[in-house]
Amino acid sequence: MTSEVPVSKANAPVGTVPSNDSPSGPAIPVGSDVVIETRGLSKIYRDFWGRKKVHALKSLDIEVRKGEIFGLLGPNGSGKSTTIKLVLGLLFPTSGRAFVFGKEATEVTKNERIGYLPEESYLYKFLNAEETLDFYGRLFDMPASVRRERTEQLIQMVGLQRARRRQLKEYSKGMTRRIGLAQALINEPDLLVLDEPTTGLDPIGSREMKDLILKLRDQGKTILMCSHQLADVEDVCDRIAILHQGELKELGRVDSLLKVQDVTEIHASGLSDAAKDEIRGVIAKHGGNLLQLDNPTTTMEDLFLDIVRESEARPGRRSGS
Amino acid sequence: MRLEPNQFWSLSQWLFREGSLLYGAALLFTMAALGFFVCYVVAMVRQGPSEGFFSIAKVIYDLFRTDLPKTSVFRIWAIAKLAFLEAIRRKVLAVIAIFIIGILFAGWFLDKSAEDPAKLYISFVLTATNYLILLLGLFLSSFSLPADIKNRTIYTIVTKPVRPTEIVLGRIVGFALIGSVILAVLGVLSYTFVVRGLKHSHEVATISSDGKVGVTDRSGAHSHNFRLNQDGKGVTDNVKGHQHTVTAVEVNGETKYDVGPPTGDLSARVPLYGSLKYTDRSGVEGAGLNVGYMSEYRKFIAGGSLSSAIWQFENIKAADFPDGLQIEMNIEAFRTYKGDIVTPVRGSLILRSPDETVESERRSFLVKESVDRKTIPLTLSGFKLNQPATLELFKDLVVDGRLQVIIRCEDSQQYLGMAAGDLSLLAGEKTFAWNFFKGYVSIWLQMVIVICFGVMYSTFLSGPVAMVATMSSLILGFFGGNIDTFFNSQYNGGGPVEAIVRILTQKGTMIDLDMGNQALEKTIQTIDYGLMSGVSTLKSAVPNFGQLGTSDFIAYGVDLFDGLLARHMLIALGYFLMTTIIGYFFIKTREMAA
Repeated sequence: MTSEVPVSKANAPVGTVPSNDSPSGPAIPVGSDVVIETRGLSKIYRDFWGRKKVHALKSLDIEVRKGEIFGLLGPNGSGKSTTIKLVLGLLFPTSGRAFVFGKEATEVTKNERIGYLPEESYLYKFLNAEETLDFYGRLFDMPASVRRERTEQLIQMVGLQRARRRQLKEYSKGMTRRIGLAQALINEPDLLVLDEPTTGLDPIGSREMKDLILKLRDQGKTILMCSHQLADVEDVCDRIAILHQGELKELGRVDSLLKVQDVTEIHASGLSDAAKDEIRGVIAKHGGNLLQLDNPTTTMEDLFLDIVRESEARPGRRSGS
Repeated sequence: MRLEPNQFWSLSQWLFREGSLLYGAALLFTMAALGFFVCYVVAMVRQGPSEGFFSIAKVIYDLFRTDLPKTSVFRIWAIAKLAFLEAIRRKVLAVIAIFIIGILFAGWFLDKSAEDPAKLYISFVLTATNYLILLLGLFLSSFSLPADIKNRTIYTIVTKPVRPTEIVLGRIVGFALIGSVILAVLGVLSYTFVVRGLKHSHEVATISSDGKVGVTDRSGAHSHNFRLNQDGKGVTDNVKGHQHTVTAVEVNGETKYDVGPPTGDLSARVPLYGSLKYTDRSGVEGAGLNVGYMSEYRKFIAGGSLSSAIWQFENIKAADFPDGLQIEMNIEAFRTYKGDIVTPVRGSLILRSPDETVESERRSFLVKESVDRKTIPLTLSGFKLNQPATLELFKDLVVDGRLQVIIRCEDSQQYLGMAAGDLSLLAGEKTFAWNFFKGYVSIWLQMVIVICFGVMYSTFLSGPVAMVATMSSLILGFFGGNIDTFFNSQYNGGGPVEAIVRILTQKGTMIDLDMGNQALEKTIQTIDYGLMSGVSTLKSAVPNFGQLGTSDFIAYGVDLFDGLLARHMLIALGYFLMTTIIGYFFIKTREMAA
């Protein structure tokens, strides 16, 4: 679990860059627990003639720490996928920089410690499960014995024992997701990047995937995931960043974000009516207004929709600022 | 079969020919400068002048600092294996079935009554294989990478520790591998088809009463005459490029004649070529005459004069010519009067020692105007220091392996034309199968070049466009020679700028430019020269497939020179390196998810 709670609202830049930042090198010292860092990361998609089409990401600053599950949340076209692709080096930033394990995101060597599950499992359909895992294992220069062992383990883990010799083109969507995940784990990565990990899975598959993500986190792996399945994010993520129209709208710990800040919830048992009256009295004395004795939390969905509505009403501003 | 003198150069002669290193350096520099310039313009538009420069510098730095040294053979092999599997699972092996159907039909249509059926059969299978395999290479290489990018399977590759060099090399290796497998199968099929297609047998049809002279029956649209010697053995005459042995066998008191299988139709003669110079009518060394043909391939010597063609041969070994010196020639006659058109023009042949002190007697011959073979005996009469003498071929005439062969034209006012490749010494024979194999190696090299270009274009173009680009490069390569002619000012009318001026001022190509301003004319010509040198240098960047084709060697039964094959290997290696580097740049700078 992460150590502290950098709840950020308002104008304070999140994931503040240390002052000794030099333009040539990463800001993260080696051995630090920051796994991913983006600094002013922006992406503008242009057409063939260089004309600006979409400003997909606007100056994003986030930090993902070792051992946490970090969720990127946002409606379609909000810049989640762009962020992930920038972090993986699949896209080059228009301005700003992204660092992974202290290395430039476009650096090839960072990939040795990364596992990536794409949005849809973009795998070679003419291979079967074993061949797929063997092929990706080879790309990590893994010796044959290790490859065999890992392949066996992963096939067991994702439950594809019975389909191991079938070509992927015959797989159902759920099976494709599983082999995609197995592929991402072939190198026992320290950082796992999951693009919509639960799409296409049935509720049970979805639950299994979430349990697996939590298990991997407990093994000390860092996970960056993006999703618009709010329930998933709520269930597994330690921290989230909410993006809308390419801008960071919210960032912080899931539990504190979901807390309704100006409402106090007290759970107590065994209180007598007198005691309750006394509490009411205390509240009245402090000018409080008792709403209910069992204060509610909002749901992820409400929070999310609020932020989107807010953002649409007042574009370009962080919610709550 | 036409052979330019440069084709029988040895590898080192070709590699270190005059100006080649300078030309190579110029080409390398032009390519690098042009490549850098184009990349810089693109980067500048995207990132601004200084950022653009730095990003290009970084790519170049990365190539030599990390990407090349850290390229892993293991990963290249993994990607190659994937490309191989992909091709197999996409049922590329169907090409073999297409080929089988093709040769099955061809069996009906190839004309066995042709002058040289072996040549026809061999040309057919080699050409068919060549086109089929180049087409296959074209499709495989230009569609695969774009498909990966379109299907986004490339995402799972480039997020692994895979370097751009490995993506490019892995594909080239993988496709070359599948191509090799298919080519090997086609080779075996072709060989079987040729050997079986030419196989035929004869029976003796009629034989003279003394049992010495006879005629075989007709088989494969021809028959042979033959003559038997004392012990009942003999050889038929050479019809359609082959002979049979005939043996008389006594069976139960009856004489039977056994005609053997065809020999000599599938051959791989090892020719020895020399350098050629001409002398004019007074016997002084000159350039040879042009009788008015456009082609400068053959030069002519005048008849009834001292005009001669002199071949200088080197490295003649007595061991290669146990039965005398076999000379093969293909000399053209040019007549200035018809006279008796049935009688061919006469020529004569003289052998001379390299120091010109010993020469053989003149041997007259009738010019066949097609391939003709002469055997010079090991002992012959001639002149030593102008005194008649009996000469030992390898003692008196061949000195240090060197010998001169002189051809003259005997009929005055007639002309004989020849090029260096028109007269050769037959220094033994190699097996046809080996030569056939070498022909396939040659096709393999062409395939590799096509694959390299296809992969290179597919790193930045979509599949169909990459295919068209690859094909265009090949077609451009065929016309590479024309650019040379153009550059050497063999066409009138100057370069592009001058040509535009001529069009605008309505001046023909044959009159002087004459613009009334010398400085302007000079400027135009200088610009044209610069443009044409650039084009001429860059034309080497596209492969000249016309030159890389070697099927004629196999079809005409000439051993494909190892030097030529080695040269083609080097050329293929050059293109391989060039396309790999260009492909690297595009993969490295490409946003895979864009």
